[in-house]
Amino acid sequence: SSHEHKLNFKKSKEACLSYLQDAMLQKQWKRAAEFLTFYVESLEKDYSREPVGPSEMIWRIGTEILCHHSRSNMKEFNCFMEQMKTLGVKRYLKVCLEHVFHLLCNGQIDEAYQNLSLAESWRFGEQTAIQDKEMKLIQAYRGLLDYYNWSKQKNILLEHGKCADGFADLSVEQEMHSCFRKAAVNLKEIIKIPGVWDLFVKCYVDMLEFYGDHNEACQVLNEYAYNSKFPANPNAHVYLYQFLKRQGESKKSLISALKILHDIVPSHELMIDFNTMLQKSKKRKKRRLGLEVIFAALDYAGWKENVKAWSCLARQVKQIVIAEKHLDWIKQEWSSRKDWWPAFHFSRYLAKRNWQENKSLSYEKALVAGILLGKDCKYFKYVSHQGCKAQVKKFRMLKKFVNRHNPVYLRISG
Amino acid sequence: QQAQPAFVPRRGGTGETWDLAEAAAVPVLPPSAGRWIPSPAPQDILYRSSVCRKLRAGRSGATLDFAKQLGHFFEDHPEDAFGSMGRLLHKNFYLGNSKLKRPARSSTIRMTTLMKDIDRLEARRGCHRQHLASRLRWFSHLCRDWLFEVPLGLLADCLHEELLLQWSDLLFDDSLTGGALAWLPPGDTGSRTGCLVYPGGQAMNHLFFQDMVLEELPRAQGSPAQFELSGRIRQVAAARVDGEDFVGVRSDYHCGVWRVPGRTGTAPAPLQVIRTDVPASCLTVSPHLPGELAVCTQSGTVYLWSVETGLQQLRHDPQTMFFRDHSPWRWSDFTAHPRVLSCADRTGLQCLDARAPKKCHFDLFKVGEEAGCQQGERVVLPMYLGRAHPSQYLVTTQFSVYVLDERLPLVPVLKWAHMMKAPPLFAHLMPGDPGRTHKVLLGASRTQELLLLQYRGERWSSRGGSQSACQLAGAPQKLHSITGCLQHLPTQLPHHHHLLQQRLGAPAAGLAATVQGDGTCETMLIFQLSEAGDVFCQRLTHEAAHPPAPTSRDEATTAPGSSPLFEDPASSPLGLGTAALRYHRWLRALFRGCREPPQNSFPPSLSQRRLFTRKELEGPTGPTALQRQVRQWLHQVMREGGLIQHWEPVALQTPPLPQPPEPEGGPDHLSTRLTAAWSGDWEQWWEDRTSFSVAQRQRALRERRRRQKRARGRRSLSASFTSSLTYQSELSELSDAGPPLLSPGRPHVHSQEGSPPASGPLPGSPPASPAPDEALLSSQSLQCRGIPKERRKTLRDYLSVWAEAPPEPPELPGSQASQLCIPSSQSQLSSASQTRRKRPRMGF
Repeated sequence: SSHEHKLNFKKSKEACLSYLQDAMLQKQWKRAAEFLTFYVESLEKDYSREPVGPSEMIWRIGTEILCHHSRSNMKEFNCFMEQMKTLGVKRYLKVCLEHVFHLLCNGQIDEAYQNLSLAESWRFGEQTAIQDKEMKLIQAYRGLLDYYNWSKQKNILLEHGKCADGFADLSVEQEMHSCFRKAAVNLKEIIKIPGVWDLFVKCYVDMLEFYGDHNEACQVLNEYAYNSKFPANPNAHVYLYQFLKRQGESKKSLISALKILHDIVPSHELMIDFNTMLQKSKKRKKRRLGLEVIFAALDYAGWKENVKAWSCLARQVKQIVIAEKHLDWIKQEWSSRKDWWPAFHFSRYLAKRNWQENKSLSYEKALVAGILLGKDCKYFKYVSHQGCKAQVKKFRMLKKFVNRHNPVYLRISG
Repeated sequence: QQAQPAFVPRRGGTGETWDLAEAAAVPVLPPSAGRWIPSPAPQDILYRSSVCRKLRAGRSGATLDFAKQLGHFFEDHPEDAFGSMGRLLHKNFYLGNSKLKRPARSSTIRMTTLMKDIDRLEARRGCHRQHLASRLRWFSHLCRDWLFEVPLGLLADCLHEELLLQWSDLLFDDSLTGGALAWLPPGDTGSRTGCLVYPGGQAMNHLFFQDMVLEELPRAQGSPAQFELSGRIRQVAAARVDGEDFVGVRSDYHCGVWRVPGRTGTAPAPLQVIRTDVPASCLTVSPHLPGELAVCTQSGTVYLWSVETGLQQLRHDPQTMFFRDHSPWRWSDFTAHPRVLSCADRTGLQCLDARAPKKCHFDLFKVGEEAGCQQGERVVLPMYLGRAHPSQYLVTTQFSVYVLDERLPLVPVLKWAHMMKAPPLFAHLMPGDPGRTHKVLLGASRTQELLLLQYRGERWSSRGGSQSACQLAGAPQKLHSITGCLQHLPTQLPHHHHLLQQRLGAPAAGLAATVQGDGTCETMLIFQLSEAGDVFCQRLTHEAAHPPAPTSRDEATTAPGSSPLFEDPASSPLGLGTAALRYHRWLRALFRGCREPPQNSFPPSLSQRRLFTRKELEGPTGPTALQRQVRQWLHQVMREGGLIQHWEPVALQTPPLPQPPEPEGGPDHLSTRLTAAWSGDWEQWWEDRTSFSVAQRQRALRERRRRQKRARGRRSLSASFTSSLTYQSELSELSDAGPPLLSPGRPHVHSQEGSPPASGPLPGSPPASPAPDEALLSSQSLQCRGIPKERRKTLRDYLSVWAEAPPEPPELPGSQASQLCIPSSQSQLSSASQTRRKRPRMGF
C-alpha cells in the first residue's frame, strides 16, 4: 500500500542519513559524498514537516563535505551553492550569505561582493520578518566590503598626499566618497537593530571620524552602549571609552565610561587603566573607587597571576598604610573577602609555586598578604624567608616594612 | 588600520588530527565481580497484549503493565500486603485437600479450588475465554476492599507514580548527568601514575580509587582503595586545588567529599557527608577553593557546601527560571569568581553571588531567541570551561552545543548542532596550551555515543591587539562506543555472545580523559564507564611533527577497524597485541564470573492436571505387574545413571534371543566415522558403510522372519494383531535406531548420549514393542478409563508434542484395538492405511 511505501521510504531515508552522519563524523568524506548522492533521492517525495527538511539537510551536509573533501575545489563549491539557491526559495538569502562567507574566508572578496549585490536585488513575494533581517545582513556585509574598499582608497590617497599628484587623486577621492556613501547607508541600517554588531559599529565610526562627524559617531556609540534593547555588550563601552580617549575628552567622562564597564564586567582588562587613573585622582572618593576596582578584579580566577594588578593593589595599600589614613577602606574591602582570599590567593602551596615561577609576583602578593594578614601569614612568611635566604634586598625591605606596620593588620582584621 | 581584512570561519578551519590507535575501546580493569543486574528494560514495565495493542492502536504513548507490577508487589512483600489480615483470618482459610467437617465448614473457606483456578488462569494466559474464572472474580470482588493491609487505592497510586517515574527514567534518565567517572592526573609532571575514581559492586555503591600507570594502554597498579557507600553512586566529580584533588560523590540522598593528596601512595581520606531529604541532582567541586562544592536538589534548592563552614543555601525555588518546565532537575557549577555560582534548570542558567544571592544575579543563558534555540530545546548539561578560559562556559542541549562567555551573557560565542541521537549527559574538557585547540568530549548515556570537538578559544592576534572570536576547529570526530568492540571480538558461543551483547550494550555512566606525552607524540586517553561497572579505554594519537597531507588522511587510514584488534597470530610476529591480550583476559574473567547457571533455565513443562483431573488419569486398579516391572527398571537405571532408550516389557519378551554379534568388534561407528572424517576420507567410509549395511539389512530381515514365525506360533491366540506388531518392527527398521542390545530381558540402556546414526537394525534386534506408558494412553485404555473420545485426540496430540513417541498411535499387542476407535486425524489415517496395505505382504 502507499502508506507502507511511504513508511519504508521514510525509514530508508533515515537510515541513509544516519550512515551519512556516521561517515562525516569519522571524516570519511568520500563515503559521505556517496551517501549524499543517494540521499538526494529523498527530495523525490518530500512529505516531511520537520523543522529541517531534506533540502536543507542536503545543503548543509553538502557544504560540509565540499569543505573537507580532498578533491573539491572552489569552482565545484560555487556550482553546488548556485544549485542550492534554487532548491528552496525561502532559504535563498541564507544560502547566499553562507556562500559569501565561504568566499570571504577564501579571500575572494570581489566574487563575494558580486554575490552580495545579486542577492540584494533578489525579490520574492511578500517579505517575511526573517527575510527582512537576512536582507539587512546582506546589505550590512556589502556595506562592510564597501568600507574595506573605502579604507583602501583612503590609504592610497594618504600615501599620494605625501607626493602631491593632483589629477589621479581626484578620481580616487571620488571613488572613496562613493564607497563611503554606499557603506554608510547600509551600516547605519544594521546597527539600529538590537544585536551584537561590533565590527559594523567600529567601521562606521571609523568613517565618521575620518569625515569629522564626531557628533554622529558619539551618538552611534552611545546608542550602542546604552540602549537597553541591545544585549549588555562590554565591547560597546570599550569602544565608547576608546573614542572618548581619542577625542581627548575630560578625565571625568572617561571615568564615567569605565565605571559602567566596571559595573558590567569587573574583570575587564581595562580595569588596570581605570585603577591607575583613579589612583592619580585628587578626590578621595575616586581613590576609594580605585581600591574597590582593583580588589574586585583580583577576585577573578583569571587575574590570579596578573603581576600588574597585584602591583597596583600593593602600591595603593602601601600608600594607605604609610599615610595611616583611610585604613577603613581596606578594612571594608577586606571584610567580605577575608573568609576566602587566604585560601584563594595566600595558601602555602601558592607561595611555593609563585616563588618558583614568578618572583616579582610573589613579592607584590607577599606585601599585600603581610599587610592584610599580618606577619605570621603563611604566604608572607614563606616568601620573605625565601627572599632573605636568596639575599634579595627588595625582600629584606619588605620584611622590615611589614614588621613595622604589623599593628595595621590588627586594625584591619579587628 | 588594517587594509586587507582577514575573514575567519566560525566553524570549519583546521583542527588537530587525532587518530584512533585501536579499532575498538579496550577494557582497562577486570570485569567487576558479581553479576550485574541490568536496569529495567521497556518490556519489564510495559503491558504486552495483542488485545490491548489493538485497543490502543489509535492512541500514542506506552501502556504500563500496572497489574503485573502490583502482583509482583503482593508476591514479593506478602507480609506488608496482607500480614495482619492474614494472621486474623488464617483459621478461616483451609488449604488442605480433604473435605471439611461439619462444625468447621460454617466458618472456613476451602481454598484448594481457588488455588487450582489460579493455576488454570496462569495456564490460560492469552486465552480469550478468561471469564471462565468466575470463582476468582467472585472472590476478588468480595475481598478487594478489606483484604489488603495498605489501602489498595493508595498503594495503586504510589505504584502508578513509581511506574511513571521508571518509565520516564527509561526515556531519559537525568540522574546520571555529569557521569560517575573521574580521572585524577599525576601529581607532578614527571610521574606517570594517575588515579581513576569509579563506582563498582553489584549495586554500584562501592567507590574505588585505582592507581593507574600510563603506558601504551593504562595499567592498574596495586589494588584499589575501596569505600562502601549506602546508595547507588550517580556522579563522581573531581577538581584539583592547590595540588590536592577533591572528589565529590553523589548518590540519591547522600553526597560525600574525599580528599586525595597529591603524592601518590597516600590513601584518599573521606572528609564529610551530607544527607538530603530530596534526591540531589548535582554535585560539582570548586576549582578555586579547597573543600568547596555546589549541591542542588530536585526541590530546586542550591547550596554552597564548604567542608569547613557547612552548607549555605543560595536559592530555593521549585519553579523553573525562565518559563515553566516540569523537570525537577537542577544544576550548579562554579564561575570565574569563586563566590559566584551558576545555577541551571532545563530553561537556562543564572549566576548567583553567594554573598548576596537574592540581590546579585544575572542571566547567563536562556533557552530562547537570543541563542537561536529550537522549539522544545532544553538545557541538558552546563559545564564551566575555566581550565580553558576563565570566563567561558559550555552548555549542551539535546540539539546543540553552546559556548558562552559570562562577560557577554545570553549571546553564545559559539554554537554547533551536535546531531547526537541521545542528549549528551557527560562532557569533559581537555584544555590546550596557548596556540592549540581545546578539546571537549561529549558523551551520551543510552546510545554510548562519544564525540570529540575542538575549539579555539578567544585569543589576542599578533597585530593590532584585536581579538579573534571563539572558533570551532576542524570537523567533530566520532569515537568508539563500548559496544562497538563486539564486531571485533572472536566468535563466541551463542550464550556468551548474548551475555557480551547485554554487558557491552549497557548504557554509559561516565567519561574521563587525559592528554599526556611530549611535544612530538601526544596521546589522548579516554575512559568510559558503563552502567555494568566496566571501564573501557581508547587511545588517540596526535603527531605534531608531521602535519597530515590532505590526501593521506582519507578513508583508508582513518576508517575504523583498519588496524584489526585481533590479528591473525601467524601474520603478526609478536603474536597478539596488548589490546587483544587485554580482551582475552577480560573475556575469560567475565565468563568465569558468570558461570553459575541462570535461574530460569528450566525446560518448559506443563502439568497434565490441567488437561485431566486426577480421577481421569487414575488407572482402574492398582499398578499392574507391567508397571511394577517398569518402575523397577527405572530405579535401577537411575541408580546407574543411564538412560532408557526403549521399553521392553518382559511380559511380551520372547525367550532369550541369541546375542547379536558385535559389529566387527572394533571401535564403534561413531569413532570410526569421526576418525575417517578427521583424516579426510569420509566418503570412502560412507561407501564401505553402505555396502556393509546392505549385507546387514539382509541378515536382519532374515532374522526377523524367523522370529516372527516363532512368535506367531506362540501367540496364535490373536493372530490378527500381529499386523500391528509387524508394523512396529518395520518401523524400528525404518527408524534405524537400534542400539546394541546389552543384555536380554532388560530395557535398552544407553549410557552415552547419541547413537550411531548410520547403524542399521542390528541382527537379532527384537521388534520394538509399544512402551507401557504408550499402552497407558492407547485408545482402549483411555476408553476404559472413561475418557471421552474427543479428548483422546487432544491427549494424543499433546503427548506427541512432548514425548519422542512414534508419530502414530501405538497399539498394544493383544488389545482389542479397532480402527473405529482411532479418531480421524491425518497421521493416524495414514498409519491405518499403511497397516492395512502391509498386511498382504506379511503373508495374510
